Amino acid sequence: MQYRTTKLIGKKLITLIMTLFLVSVAAFLAFQIIPGDVVNAILGTEATPEREAQLREELGLNDPPVVRYLHWIGGVLKGDLGRSYRYSKSMNEMMPVAELIGDKLPVTLWLAALAVLIIIVVSIPLGVLWAQGKSRVLDAFLNVLTQTVMAIPSFFLGILVTYLFGMVLHWFQPGGYVSYQTDFWGFLGYLVFPAISVAIPKIAMTARFLRNSMLTEKSADYVRTAKSKGCTDRQVMYGHVLRNAMMPVVTFLGMIIAEIVAGSIVVEQVFGLPGVGRLLISSISNRDFPVVEILILYITAVVIIVYFLVDLLYRVIDPRIREM
Amino acid sequence: MSKATAETIVRIEDLSVKFDVTQAVEHVNLEVAAGEIVGIVGESGSGKSVTALTLMGLVADSATMGTGRILFGDTVLQEAGKPRDKALYRRFQGEQMTMVFQEPMTSLNPTKKVGVQVEEMLLLHTELSKEERHQRVCDSFLSVGLKEPEKVFASYPHQLSGGMRQRAMIAMATILHPKLIVADEPTTALDVTIQNQIIELLREINQKEKNAMIFITHDLNLARRLCHRIAVMKDGQVVECGATEDVFADPKADYTRRLIEAVPSRMKPKVQVTVPEGVETGSAAAGDTEHRAERQKPVAVVEHLNVYYRDGGGFFSRKGKQKVVKDADFTIYRGEVLGLVGESGCGKSTLSKAILGMNKEIEGEIKHFSTRPQMIFQDPYSSLNPCKTVEWLLTEPLRAAGELDAAYKMSAADRKAQACDMLRKIGMDEKYLDRKPSQLSGGQRQRISIGQALITRPGLVIADEPVSALDVTLQAQIMELMRQLQDEMHMAYLFISHDINVVYQMSDRIMVMKDGQIVEQGKTEEIFQSPRNPYTQMLLRES
Repeated sequence: MQYRTTKLIGKKLITLIMTLFLVSVAAFLAFQIIPGDVVNAILGTEATPEREAQLREELGLNDPPVVRYLHWIGGVLKGDLGRSYRYSKSMNEMMPVAELIGDKLPVTLWLAALAVLIIIVVSIPLGVLWAQGKSRVLDAFLNVLTQTVMAIPSFFLGILVTYLFGMVLHWFQPGGYVSYQTDFWGFLGYLVFPAISVAIPKIAMTARFLRNSMLTEKSADYVRTAKSKGCTDRQVMYGHVLRNAMMPVVTFLGMIIAEIVAGSIVVEQVFGLPGVGRLLISSISNRDFPVVEILILYITAVVIIVYFLVDLLYRVIDPRIREM
Repeated sequence: MSKATAETIVRIEDLSVKFDVTQAVEHVNLEVAAGEIVGIVGESGSGKSVTALTLMGLVADSATMGTGRILFGDTVLQEAGKPRDKALYRRFQGEQMTMVFQEPMTSLNPTKKVGVQVEEMLLLHTELSKEERHQRVCDSFLSVGLKEPEKVFASYPHQLSGGMRQRAMIAMATILHPKLIVADEPTTALDVTIQNQIIELLREINQKEKNAMIFITHDLNLARRLCHRIAVMKDGQVVECGATEDVFADPKADYTRRLIEAVPSRMKPKVQVTVPEGVETGSAAAGDTEHRAERQKPVAVVEHLNVYYRDGGGFFSRKGKQKVVKDADFTIYRGEVLGLVGESGCGKSTLSKAILGMNKEIEGEIKHFSTRPQMIFQDPYSSLNPCKTVEWLLTEPLRAAGELDAAYKMSAADRKAQACDMLRKIGMDEKYLDRKPSQLSGGQRQRISIGQALITRPGLVIADEPVSALDVTLQAQIMELMRQLQDEMHMAYLFISHDINVVYQMSDRIMVMKDGQIVEQGKTEEIFQSPRNPYTQMLLRES
């Protein structure tokens, strides 16, 4: 068991490294191919040819692509993520990408953590309750509610949340984002509401998913055995069905978590959060390729790591997988 | 056992159960006394399981009780017209009445330790401390013959063998010494040798505890060996009920008689006996000498075959390689039926896959002297693609053969004509062409899979447990069909089964396999009359 887990972790690490390498090549190549000139993007169309040539030289754009890739990836490996084409730190120094992202990342990560917490805490009991099928009215109600919530576009949901909690209930000040560096608790308090906006559709999806999974499990033979022992419905659901029904749900949750950690672009926009999602959008439209490339690597790593955690969780839930 | 003194434990009076519009059980009466084992025998869909599940309060909520009532001692557990009182039932379930199910693998929760699952009984119905519970569970494991109770306690279901799992289920069912145990096909999923041990165990428990037992089975022979009384069910009704030996000696109902006749047995003549190497059979007259010569030609020769199975290892290590088939050496001749018998896990399916070329990890030689061999599978429910029509299913092998070899290419119309032809051969007709598998009965499905295997006219057909998923009466029909088609088309069968009686009925020659090795092969009659290998002897004794 111990040995197998160590081996698994080793295997996954190799996968992670290989994937990141391939993605880095792909990301680098992509920006060589897509049209648009970086120099124009930075200087605008008014610049003199001399200034353009100078910048081209400074950025190393005259080197062949292979040299530039090696230069870039070498830097990344040493911890130098490159410099932004767009943002400057001071008059004649470009902003290092590491600093730029390091600034935004905590916002996205805290938002993701809150959202995931809300999703798990709400959707699991809701799914179990729904799967018990005690009342038809409740079933129908939950069906319509989750259906509706899943269908609402997330920006609109963000607006609704802002309106309800901000304008009507006055639980928070819309647009009153405070940085985590100045006031951490104020920051978290503000984040709860975007987190709710992120969580609501996912709660609906997860609860539906869990319900379906539990309904399938409910007809399994071992459930009949549990009933034949004299278990109550509740004992059957929580004691036997839930854990087995969690298997597919864990995969689904993994997908959701990876998506949220990669940055909830729309919600960050609506709530004015300076997170990774917004950075990604602005970097793409500004052709700020050094930033975009690093963000692509970040998202790739997040997805792989979350899936690895899902794999580990599988082994905790299902003893049969531990031996495979 | 004198009926006058024995206390009646459970009484089912005039029970009718309905699912929506289908009547599953009709006016069933049954009584079981302490110390008595009553068998409910019937084919699938006869209502035997629904009767038991209704009695246990475990039938699906969509079932309604039309008439009758169920009494446990003096308590009315359930009555027609009244909703099932779950709280009342829970006072009896587990403590007074328990159930042993068919498939111990799926009937145990796969993510909970076996010991914990048995312990749950004590948790629900007693006030014992954790240590006492642990002790009781281990004691009960010992009492059902599980030798290492601590180890079993800490195991998950998949870590135990089928027999051990069923023993653990029985430990669960007996730990609180209930008055009634309902065993629903408890041995169907197990090998013969294990089957007998479980039957003996149930008998022992019944004698020791003097409880009432209901034993549900499709297997008449099993019921005969264990039960004091038998109720035969068909289409939801009890068609015959009486003391076991009376029922067998003098069956009153037609259906019972048919059921007794359909059971494959060594006491009965074989299905259309055709003996290889040209012994007169009387069936083929003109081409007989020709046939005789044909029969001595091999269709497939297997020489010193080892088949491996790779577990886990991945591409780095070879150490996960297991020898599943060891040094198999045999020949299949034209037009014969070669039976292959062995218990689950002995390697018979692996061997058959190797012959088909579906297993690449082999050593040794397999020579084919005919066109590509075809296969008939065990479960006609899962082996036919549910979204295709019968026409598509039957013509697919022809299309595949056409792809592989231009000589087999034919037009769509020709393929359809062949499919119609085959449908008639397998006892169906054109009107089934547009049906899908879900619109066919189990027997019809198995006919289609036989048709699929035969439509390319292969020289060799491998039939892997082709009748194991079918009821006895259907079993007899399908075996007869296979023999009849062989007479028409002269192919050879490699007929695989775990049931030595079925193999006896079908085969000209027999191979017995154990742990990957063919321990004995020879003519059917010779092996059955004088088995040399101790394993064969045991198989013959046990079944």
